[in-house]
Amino acid sequence: MDPARTPLGQMLLEEITPVVMVLSTPSVEETCLKNGFSFLQMLTPFCSFNNIDVPVRTASDQPYRIHKFKLRLFYGSNVRKPDLKVAEEQLMQVITESGEKVFSELCSDAPKINQEHASSEDRNTPSWFQFFNKELVRMASFSDHEAFDHPVACLLAVSSKDEHPVSRFIDLFNTNKLPSLLKDGAMDPKILKHYLLVHDNQDGSTDRASKILTEMRNTFGASDCVLLSINSSPDAPIKHQDNPWASQICDASPDQDLGCFLNIDDINEIKDLMQDLSSKHIIPNMEQKIRVLNQQVSATRKGFKNQIKNLWWRKGKEDGVDSLNGPMYNFNSIESQIRVLGDYAFMLRDYELALSNYRLISTDYKIDKAWKRYAGVQEMMGLTYFMLDQSRKEAEYCMENAFNTYLKLGFVGQQNATRCGLWWIEMLKARDLFKEAATVYFRICGEDILHSAVMLEQASYCYLLSKPSMSRKYGFHLVLSGEQYKKCDQIKHAIRTYRSALSVFRGTTWSYINDHVHFHIGQWYASLGMYDVAVKHMTEILACSHQSKTTQELFLGDFLQVVEKTGHTFEVTKLQLPVINISSLKVIFEDHRTFGSPSAVNTKEGLWHSLEEDMIPSFTAAKTNWLELQSKLISKKNTQSNVCVAGEAVKVNIEFINPLQITIPVSGVTLVCKYSTSTDELTSNANELSVKTDNEVDHFRDTSSHNSSFLVSEVDFSLGGGETTMVQLSVTPKEVGTLEILGVRWKLSGAIVGFHNFELSHPKKNIVKGRRKAKQSPNEKFKFMVIKSIPKIQGTIQSLPGKAYAGDLRQLMLELRNPSEFPVKNLKMKISHPRFLIVGNQENVKLEFPGCLTKKSDSVQSGAHANPNMMSETVFSFPADTSVQGETPLSWPLWFRAAVPGDISLYMSIYYEIEDISSVIRYRTLRLHYNVQVLPSLDVSFQISPSRLRIQDFLVRLDIVNKTSSESFQVYQLSSIGHHWEISLLQPPEAIFPSQTLMAGQAISCFFTLKNSRRLSTLEHNISTLPLGSDVLLVPQCSEDLVYNTNNVPLVNFHYFERLQQKVLHEDLGDLNTVDLVLISRPLNSSISPGLSDPPHVMSHHTCHLSTASTGPISWLVDGPQTLHHDFSASFCEINLKMHLYNSSDATAFVRIDTTDFDGSGGHMNSVNAIQSATPDNQAGWHDVTPVTEIKVTPNALEAQPGKVVLLESVSPYIWSGSSSTNIHLEPMSSAEIPLQICVFSPGTYDLSNYVLSWKLPSQVLGDSDETKQHSGKCQGYKYYLTVLQST
Amino acid sequence: MIVCVAVVGHQNNPLYIQSFTEADDALKLHHIVHCSLDVVDERVNNPKKSGPMLNETFLGLLYPIENYKVYGYLTNTKVKFILVTTDLDVKDADVRNFFRRFHSAYVDAVSNPFHVPGKKITSRTFAERVSTIVKSFGFSSAA
Repeated sequence: MDPARTPLGQMLLEEITPVVMVLSTPSVEETCLKNGFSFLQMLTPFCSFNNIDVPVRTASDQPYRIHKFKLRLFYGSNVRKPDLKVAEEQLMQVITESGEKVFSELCSDAPKINQEHASSEDRNTPSWFQFFNKELVRMASFSDHEAFDHPVACLLAVSSKDEHPVSRFIDLFNTNKLPSLLKDGAMDPKILKHYLLVHDNQDGSTDRASKILTEMRNTFGASDCVLLSINSSPDAPIKHQDNPWASQICDASPDQDLGCFLNIDDINEIKDLMQDLSSKHIIPNMEQKIRVLNQQVSATRKGFKNQIKNLWWRKGKEDGVDSLNGPMYNFNSIESQIRVLGDYAFMLRDYELALSNYRLISTDYKIDKAWKRYAGVQEMMGLTYFMLDQSRKEAEYCMENAFNTYLKLGFVGQQNATRCGLWWIEMLKARDLFKEAATVYFRICGEDILHSAVMLEQASYCYLLSKPSMSRKYGFHLVLSGEQYKKCDQIKHAIRTYRSALSVFRGTTWSYINDHVHFHIGQWYASLGMYDVAVKHMTEILACSHQSKTTQELFLGDFLQVVEKTGHTFEVTKLQLPVINISSLKVIFEDHRTFGSPSAVNTKEGLWHSLEEDMIPSFTAAKTNWLELQSKLISKKNTQSNVCVAGEAVKVNIEFINPLQITIPVSGVTLVCKYSTSTDELTSNANELSVKTDNEVDHFRDTSSHNSSFLVSEVDFSLGGGETTMVQLSVTPKEVGTLEILGVRWKLSGAIVGFHNFELSHPKKNIVKGRRKAKQSPNEKFKFMVIKSIPKIQGTIQSLPGKAYAGDLRQLMLELRNPSEFPVKNLKMKISHPRFLIVGNQENVKLEFPGCLTKKSDSVQSGAHANPNMMSETVFSFPADTSVQGETPLSWPLWFRAAVPGDISLYMSIYYEIEDISSVIRYRTLRLHYNVQVLPSLDVSFQISPSRLRIQDFLVRLDIVNKTSSESFQVYQLSSIGHHWEISLLQPPEAIFPSQTLMAGQAISCFFTLKNSRRLSTLEHNISTLPLGSDVLLVPQCSEDLVYNTNNVPLVNFHYFERLQQKVLHEDLGDLNTVDLVLISRPLNSSISPGLSDPPHVMSHHTCHLSTASTGPISWLVDGPQTLHHDFSASFCEINLKMHLYNSSDATAFVRIDTTDFDGSGGHMNSVNAIQSATPDNQAGWHDVTPVTEIKVTPNALEAQPGKVVLLESVSPYIWSGSSSTNIHLEPMSSAEIPLQICVFSPGTYDLSNYVLSWKLPSQVLGDSDETKQHSGKCQGYKYYLTVLQST
Repeated sequence: MIVCVAVVGHQNNPLYIQSFTEADDALKLHHIVHCSLDVVDERVNNPKKSGPMLNETFLGLLYPIENYKVYGYLTNTKVKFILVTTDLDVKDADVRNFFRRFHSAYVDAVSNPFHVPGKKITSRTFAERVSTIVKSFGFSSAA
């Protein structure tokens, strides 16, 4: 790449060019001012020559040609170091202006990073950057340590109007007025002078002018004097098509035509003048000088001899002045001359020559410690290398060296360092070393904040341009730059840089940085009074949960302050505070399903569905002829949207989360809804949707104002740090139409209103009730068809305890209300757990509890008869004449019994139909849900064993354990259910319960005898009759009246469900051999803990399906003497025994009794000890307390008798003398008697259990049979002891 | 002294950043760490610079900025570890050693079944372990 074509090359060709000092008289200026510019400005456009062809011959003999050339014109007064302060101010103004300009152009949104990248080529160099850089470079001009700013020529201009023009010329170049450079001797004052006589054609003819010109030519020499006539255009001003001055003088007012009095001839004249000046005077003059200087330099410095001499001489000067600038060099010192030579050569583009001279002088300056000059030369060397396009490394090294040296000089070198740095950067940029350029920019940043801001910004663009682009550094440097801009009050620039930086950080998770950037942009916008934009940025940082508490407070505080300043309540669509947990969103509405409590709402739809199955008519079935039209309408509408009823609230549960550590007040939380009257709206809404998104906020605002057709609830709350609150919002439509819930709006800290649209952000919703219509579009889920008001029954169960002890029985009241004026009909009810809750009768309402349970009151006896039907029917229908309307509620009794311990959820559903058939919804259900915690109270267990004294008698052992921790109970009554059982106490109640109470944790056992009172004759009709129980009071001194009637409502109903329940649990052995026992207990009032609000009165414990038939369907009893005397000396003893058999099954049984004689392990026992030792082995059984004999009960006769005592004697002590095997067919429910006989040969005690009883039932009818049911069995005989004594 | 350590995910999202200075310069350190990612990217995308050590995880000195030196480390899953230190003469071996320990701590932290990959590391154990490593870094370099 041609270095001259690079920006740096262009810049050098423009900036490092010969300077022409212009000296003019006031009248010349005056003449020019007529055209609106100064003399210098008039000439400037014609100072650059793009199309010349001048041969140049410098030190070498080979001439070359220059095609482009430029002169820089300066007034003599300006040929000096620029005033820093003025320059700074000018720069500042430049920046401020550009800031305003760019800021106003700034589009509303910061461009995305990739766009940024695409447009970065242009953005990289905004015009004002270049301008700024140029100004910075100029600030370092006219330094005495470099020669290219030294004027090479002087243009003296005198007007023809002036008096004594010739003397004026001499006056102009008076040394007193000359710039310091020339005066101080830093440069040669003998420079080329060019004398220009300016004639204003408007002042008259050129006669006088030509006269003066002649005079001048005589005085100053012919070639150096020129006449310039301007303003030739007569009074009429001329408009120039492309005004050459327009780009020069920008501060001219646009209405003034620059150069209006200059006609084409004038312009051409000026052009010729300048071209002449450059090509005929300046360039040859410079050539001349180069040659002269070169010769001098060669004479003094070139060659070995001179070098030695120079070195020697330098050494001698070592102890000389060591000032910061090094020694002063006069223009005629050899060092200055070399420098001038180099610069001249550079300007004439003889870079080789320039370089050799720079090199030469560089070492000298270094040795002289003339650091500034050294740096200057190094700088030029770098540039020369660059222009030569060789040795890039060298060039960069030189630039760096120069830069560092300038920096070392401190303040003096600051401007130069900046200039050098900028050139260096351009050099790097020209070689695509943007990253390095950026670091140089970074190094240029001096103490001046504004400069560093601009430099940092430029550095950031360099990072972006570097390959690969380093966007993060770009962002970082923009932030740094913005910070600096802010420091020097260039807020607009600061905002601009930060906004650009935002494009880097947006979308990343570097939240600290993001917050910082947004916060400051917000702050700065606020300081500019642009609160709206400020708020927009501030809202971004509100949910800064990662920040410290103080920062959060600061952010929120500032934010609220800004919002306050806006003067109106600000409304934003995506306010991040508080955070809305959209997944928690739940919409609760009641169509034909209504709910008694929130907990009922949360219950799964499926559960209700299964509960209501029997009650609700299916849709298809409901399509009767006269309703057909109606149902069509329903189905069509139902598929489109949800249905809600006017006057009934639609509720939305939503969670608000405060991510901050500080408390935030939230007020006015409401739903935003849209209401439309016509149902046609439904279809047109789809088209409307796209429009809606555009002016969403307006829409939100609108709907909040007109809410005549619906009512929305408003909630205020305060969220503490990190808190989460579930809020229930409701909207109540008042008119028929369509209601759509759009979102939620709230007010934060009373200042800013936030919206959250339900739809747009989260299309997937968790709608509890919408399952049935899961396929509808998400939009529809928030759309409701409002139908006209229909009755809604409200219901509660009065006084349902939250906690109860197991067995607790109480009467409850269901209260139903219908606040509307419309009647309902066909009420039905279903309860999920009939074991816990059953429906009572209307008559029960007036009954006193618990008195109604006793036998004294016989009024309810009749109710019991209807029970079996009612119990099988799970749906309870209220009587047809039941009406629920108006103020008076319908009360209906319910019976509650805490059946088993645990947490029980009771569900009830009440169905009713609306009499107004024109309504869309024809029936509704009221769903009630209650939770009851049932605590364990008494643990009741029974053990039944057959009595050995009487057949069909049983011994019942009752074990009661009080499982409560503090309660005491009175065990009141034990009843057996069933017609054929009679129960009676073995002991008087006083003996069992001396204190009449069962304390907490106490366990007690008591015994009863149970008698099967069923007779064979009553078999048939007994089954169909109602069960009649027998009751045993366990409390002494109690009248019969107070016995609880277990055959009465509700005990019998509960018993029915208990039976059902326990049937499942038990393996039912035989229908007829089971007994159900009900234990009724009462808590002692004194001991009731205060924890239960409503103490229980009666508690019942039901134990069902207790099997009496432990040995199968056949029970038997061996009957005979227990002690007898016999004289064994006479003969052996023959004893007759009887065996009673009873078949308790309902089929004819085949029974066989096999008696076996002793087989070596038989049971003759001589000692009583043996008997006693045998008994503990059989601990599982129950022992009759008959004092004389021990009756052995084998609990599990199917197995071989365990624990049999091994007897010592092998000889059989007795033998069965009757038939060894007896077969008998035993009719159902009948008994039989079999004679048995044994022979005993010696006195002693004999165990007569040596027989086996086998029984067999005919196999059951197919299908009816239970696989596990016992069809046959074998029972070992039970121990029967017979003592035979020797009679005396 | 180590002033800051950071774990940056493979999408250049910060997973863990902890400064060990009293001064409130979290923002500055965030910026430094963020900028260093540019250098990491550059190193990774310029294979000729990584040269023979193709599988080297240690990236070395990323760049010096102000008074800090920034070191980098890149795991196989493109998770970056950044170390910012004020020590001017740091031995590479020390830094390598530090990163190795840091890496194992990180591996343990993300092996926690309750850690969601790509989310910030909130484990307190990890934080404690890192601070121990950071403290010991000063000692080992002094020794």
